Amino acid sequence: MIEDDLRAAFARHETLTPSTGPLRVAIDRLAAVRRRRRQRFQAAGVTLALLGALGVGVPQLRPDRPAEGPASSGQPAVGRSGALNVLLLGVDGFGEQPPYRLADSVLLVHVPADRSRPYLISLPRDLEVSIPGRGSEKLNSAFYSGAGEPRPDLDAGYDLTRRVVADLTGVRVDAGAVLTFAGLRRITDAVDGVEVCLPKEVRSWHTRRTFPAGCQRLDGAASVDLLRQRRYLPDGALDRDRNAQRYVAGLVRRVVAQDVLTNPVRLTALLAAPGKGLAVDDDGLSLTRLVAVLPELESVDPVGLSLPVGTPVGNASRLPLDPKQGPEFLAALREDRLAQWVAQHPEQVNPVR
Amino acid sequence: MTYEEFADARLAPLLRYAVMLTGEPHQAQDLVQETMVRVQLNWRRVARADSPERYVRRMLTNQYVDWRRGSWVRRVLLRGEPDASVPVPTDHAQSAVDRDQVWSWLSRLPRRQRAALVLRYYEDLPDVEIADILGCAVGTVRSSISRALATLRAEYVEA
Repeated sequence: MIEDDLRAAFARHETLTPSTGPLRVAIDRLAAVRRRRRQRFQAAGVTLALLGALGVGVPQLRPDRPAEGPASSGQPAVGRSGALNVLLLGVDGFGEQPPYRLADSVLLVHVPADRSRPYLISLPRDLEVSIPGRGSEKLNSAFYSGAGEPRPDLDAGYDLTRRVVADLTGVRVDAGAVLTFAGLRRITDAVDGVEVCLPKEVRSWHTRRTFPAGCQRLDGAASVDLLRQRRYLPDGALDRDRNAQRYVAGLVRRVVAQDVLTNPVRLTALLAAPGKGLAVDDDGLSLTRLVAVLPELESVDPVGLSLPVGTPVGNASRLPLDPKQGPEFLAALREDRLAQWVAQHPEQVNPVR
Repeated sequence: MTYEEFADARLAPLLRYAVMLTGEPHQAQDLVQETMVRVQLNWRRVARADSPERYVRRMLTNQYVDWRRGSWVRRVLLRGEPDASVPVPTDHAQSAVDRDQVWSWLSRLPRRQRAALVLRYYEDLPDVEIADILGCAVGTVRSSISRALATLRAEYVEA
């Protein structure tokens, strides 16, 4: 009899079923959006290597970008002469367990208008920043706040972090990418390893591997291992940021040495490498346009810098901006005169090779 | 068969099935939407299956059972209270109210058990096919149905 009641209950509630018309339209629309997003993922590897590390195709990029950053932060729009700022976020463990993550590597790649050479500027993950809707928080939590739960969204995490970085620095973020561990591993393997030059030995807290001082070629897994290390390093997360810069510098050298930019076969392999481990902010720029332009830089040897921070006060784990050097540095960045700033503060340069 | 033909023929039955699983039209729409978007994006693989219809039903059922892991549930939670514009049909007789209690008790069952009940008592599928859809052994289907029925019977006794 309970079986009969069940059948009757199901039959009676058939009338709850909504009509299929609007649903059909919604399905088609959402599928179209996902199809486009899938294509964006495809362009990921090349965008990291070309845009992020080399600053390719700068003038072609600008007109497509809506005013962002300075406009929203109330800062004057600067860098009009064609400086480029690309935001690279390294997030841990995306798609693995636990699934939601922090952006522990926040790297702003600045390419000056004179195209002399790229600057890699690490923004410390423990930097105290103002996150819209969240108040005062550490920089690395912006990605997590934006990405959401239960299934995080790389695009949304990136968007919120980009806003925070634009507000903090006052520069326009022209393009950007998010790289997960898996994406990092695949990119590294796609270029047959990346040479990283370490000033001091690094021991892995995760795998007990030892990375000796000096230059060494690392495969994908080893690169991920190295870039996760923070605990045994004297300066903790700040030292990890320096290692991330050394990795990016090595990746740039590798890509240039292999003629990836001019070799369609290598380019295609690199392009397909990161797969879903990387989301990219290219706002519809086509791949062909990206690769059609050649590097304009006089030198691809990057200058490694870090946003100057002060010593923690009160809440011990959060770092404030250095009260004197911080604003000076940001002004130099906004006004595209980092070369001058570096000449005045040579001790702030992180040797990446 | 094209995706369009499949959607013409199967969207309405799938939506009814989703209503029986979720007990609620909005969640059913979200569930079907999420499933059908993936069907459309992977249509070639779906079309290659022996029975695309059963393949999609399995996708939808997995999506429902994996509720917490699925992305569609987030939108559902954000929506808040269910919309009152689609009233649950009511009979005047007290016996009908009693029978509607069966419907509300269903929501307390584990999702796999509810899915098994819907597949047997609404879709009238044989246990072999239910097992295929749920991805388990026939014996497991029978035991989860009998556990679900036992739970409902216990509710009867209490009520």
